Amino acid sequence: MTTRTMAARSFDAFARMSVGRAFGSTVGKIAGGFIVLLVLTAIFAPWIAPFDYAAQNLANGNTPPAWPHLLGTDEFGRDVLSRVIYGARTSLSVSGTAIAISMTVGMTLGAAAGNFGGFFERAVMTVVDLTWSFPDILIALIFVAIIGPGLTSTTFAIAIAYLAQFTRLTRAQIVRLKRETFIEATINLGAKPAHILLRHLMPNAIAPVIVVGMLAIGDGIVLEATLGFFGLGAQPPTPSWGAMMSSGTAQLFLSPWVIIFPGIVVAVTVIAVNLFGDELIRALDIRDRLRGA
Amino acid sequence: MLQVRDLGVAFGAVQPLAGVSFGIDKGETLGIVGESGSGKSLTAMSVMGLLPLIGGRITDGSMQFDGQDLTRLAEKDYRKLRGGRIGLITQNPMTSLDPLQKIGPQVDAVAVLHLGMTGAQARARTVEILGTLRIPEPALICDRYPHQMSGGMKQRIVIAMALAADPDLLIADEPTTALDVTVQAQIIRLLDDLVKQRNLALILITHDMSVVAQTCDKVVVMYAGRAIEQGPVGAIFDAPQHPYTQALIGCIPRGLADGDRIEGIPGTVPTVMNYPKGCPFHPRCDRAQPTCETVEPVLTPRGDGAVACHFPGAAP
Amino acid sequence: MTNLLEVRDLSKRFSSGGGPFRRARSMQAVNGVSFDLPRGRVIGVVGESGCGKSTLARLILRLIEPSSGTVQFNGADLLAKTASQMRALRADMQMVFQDPYSAIDPRYTVARAVAEPFGIQGRTPKGSMADEVAGLLDMVGLDPGLAGSFPHQISGGQKQRVGIARALALRPALLVLDEPTASLDVSVQAQIISLLQQLRDDLDLTYLFISHDLSLVKYFCDEILVMYLGRVVEALPDTSAPARHPYTRTLMDSTFEPDPKLRRTITPLEGEVPSPFNLPPGCAFADRCPQATTLCRTQTPTLDPRGGHPVACHHPI
Repeated sequence: MTTRTMAARSFDAFARMSVGRAFGSTVGKIAGGFIVLLVLTAIFAPWIAPFDYAAQNLANGNTPPAWPHLLGTDEFGRDVLSRVIYGARTSLSVSGTAIAISMTVGMTLGAAAGNFGGFFERAVMTVVDLTWSFPDILIALIFVAIIGPGLTSTTFAIAIAYLAQFTRLTRAQIVRLKRETFIEATINLGAKPAHILLRHLMPNAIAPVIVVGMLAIGDGIVLEATLGFFGLGAQPPTPSWGAMMSSGTAQLFLSPWVIIFPGIVVAVTVIAVNLFGDELIRALDIRDRLRGA
Repeated sequence: MLQVRDLGVAFGAVQPLAGVSFGIDKGETLGIVGESGSGKSLTAMSVMGLLPLIGGRITDGSMQFDGQDLTRLAEKDYRKLRGGRIGLITQNPMTSLDPLQKIGPQVDAVAVLHLGMTGAQARARTVEILGTLRIPEPALICDRYPHQMSGGMKQRIVIAMALAADPDLLIADEPTTALDVTVQAQIIRLLDDLVKQRNLALILITHDMSVVAQTCDKVVVMYAGRAIEQGPVGAIFDAPQHPYTQALIGCIPRGLADGDRIEGIPGTVPTVMNYPKGCPFHPRCDRAQPTCETVEPVLTPRGDGAVACHFPGAAP
Repeated sequence: MTNLLEVRDLSKRFSSGGGPFRRARSMQAVNGVSFDLPRGRVIGVVGESGCGKSTLARLILRLIEPSSGTVQFNGADLLAKTASQMRALRADMQMVFQDPYSAIDPRYTVARAVAEPFGIQGRTPKGSMADEVAGLLDMVGLDPGLAGSFPHQISGGQKQRVGIARALALRPALLVLDEPTASLDVSVQAQIISLLQQLRDDLDLTYLFISHDLSLVKYFCDEILVMYLGRVVEALPDTSAPARHPYTRTLMDSTFEPDPKLRRTITPLEGEVPSPFNLPPGCAFADRCPQATTLCRTQTPTLDPRGGHPVACHHPI
């Protein structure tokens, strides 16, 4: 058995163990179940949504929930349910992409900073901390000013907003791990720095980062909704939960369902993501490691 | 002074202690010796009535302290005893003292609470006790904080707190494990002197048989939550009856005089979750018979002491 | 008998940096240590906390860079080696660590941990890797079936055996043992010590054994170096040699015998180990020594290799 297959197997077992355990509790099952449901909804949106999200029917505007429009229609007569379903796509893809970019860049910078230390570390951390000092909305506005409103700006804004967190967390993990006896043991075996970084430091560092990433997706959804609320996010006719809530405010007393349903979905999604993240933290038993960020 | 009979302790469905019996009188030093997971610290906590704090409860047995049965004592009466007539010295001096309080007030508090002294009286007493424990410049030390003291000093201060209310019984739970060897010797000597000068009863809990040989009059050997042998210290070392005791003494590194190599005991100490059925030592015992796997031996008197074994006696 | 290791005047100074508001402090963790370790011998280094024994172990293996002094390993000057030369040399000089609980990567199986030295040093075993791992586990008294277990699934003693198997995978000449049994139960400690003795015989190893436990060192080692605050204060040529340095005498008096008939009278030794940051001039032991004189407080004694039993004291016993 080569070292590679042994490595793959042990990582596999470890991952399955942790995620499996997170699903073990009741909370984990419900929250995790909801997340899975949401992801499936987003993927199969075209088959699930009863109507075309952009189909307008002005005569049918502002109808309360009733068959066939189970969640009612908005002012343009568009089916709220379908727009909520497609909104899931927007939210998840934007948030997911943004966090993925943020995590990749953040982990690379953090690992490099933690591993090489010295002036390089201080330089990287200073720059990264600067990004942290800007409010997310401000960053989004800057991008909007440069690129114009839309999903690209939103994605970059979210990515930059969380970059500092991933960098700091990864660096803290690396710094903590470097002091462990097994790292000293590996150096003592004659390992090169690259081997230590890639085979020992990184694999042990990523667990908390992945969990924070998961929780960040929840935050990212809220951020996307916030930007959408101000009209800076997805542009019409692309449905976005935030944008729906924004346009819904005008009709709050006339047709409250336009704002309530997307609002509920956002809230439940964020709760589910946070709860599942908590279960994952407990399953991986890494509560103490998250204090590094 | 203290007579423990058949003590049993449980945490939920788990029974970490069972059938523990021993006695101690004024002026005596009793050593409770065992490896990790043997239940020795748990025994100390039981005597101090601290089990509810960690979610445990006494299931059987009695603990007679000067006529009272501690197992039936109400918490408010226990509080009068704890820190008063029964003092506890814990394992880790680094964490036993409040880091945010000066040393003086921490020791004073004991005399104020248990002896009803005023602040000034308590302070005078504190300085006196610190002096007898050979702490230099005790009056100045009272104004310092714990983090300014070394490990050995801190342990002496913890001992001072245990002594402040003039206890009859002192329980020292691994008092020297976290200290350097030369400091350990000083603390051991200190405890020895205290027992002699004040006619105290001292229960010394340790994993170190050499410390027991140096300082104890009687010994209780614990394994997997059970007292498996006890007796006067000379008998335990000269003629140990239980195979575990014999093996344990055989594990101590000795000088060239012996020539034999130490062997160690095969296997590992069982955890609370999987105490073996029957005699807890049988999987590692070289004279185990089928009886040992099913019937748990009871502590029975033998010679000057007592042993819990189906086949006690010298090694074959 | 050639010397596997020759250490001359090895020193290490640690400084915590200063700044505009804080003065830089420095302490001499190891100060002018010299000794020879012949092939096949076991030398013990004993001392209490802060004496520098762990630092010494790491200096010898060059896991920490010395401030001054030389280390000759097998005739080669270690401090002259480049980083990549050192990496290759490390296969020949290994260490067993104090804390078995953190000495193995928690995400590695036993098999992967024990096989890692091969990959790092680019060597292939004669047979298959699985066979080699099984052989190594068997050599340290572990059931080869444990190969697929993770560290958290095995006991402390078993973890330490895995650490030993990993250290011996490439058959090093020198094994440095840094308090290998300090965190283990007595019965397990005895198992590990017994194993180490057997391995030394079977594999012709040379050991440097670091410990705070004098009785263990006396049992296990051929010669003993006693350290106090970074210096070697006495080098006992064999384990029955009497103490010549007052500190060694104190250490021996503080080590109890497992026999109630051999109880010691403990003489009070005042004071505690002084802070290494503020060492007084002269002999570091002077303010605790029952026979200290003015000379002791002004002039630091050096290790005097008198008749094969060196001692660093102005008034040896």
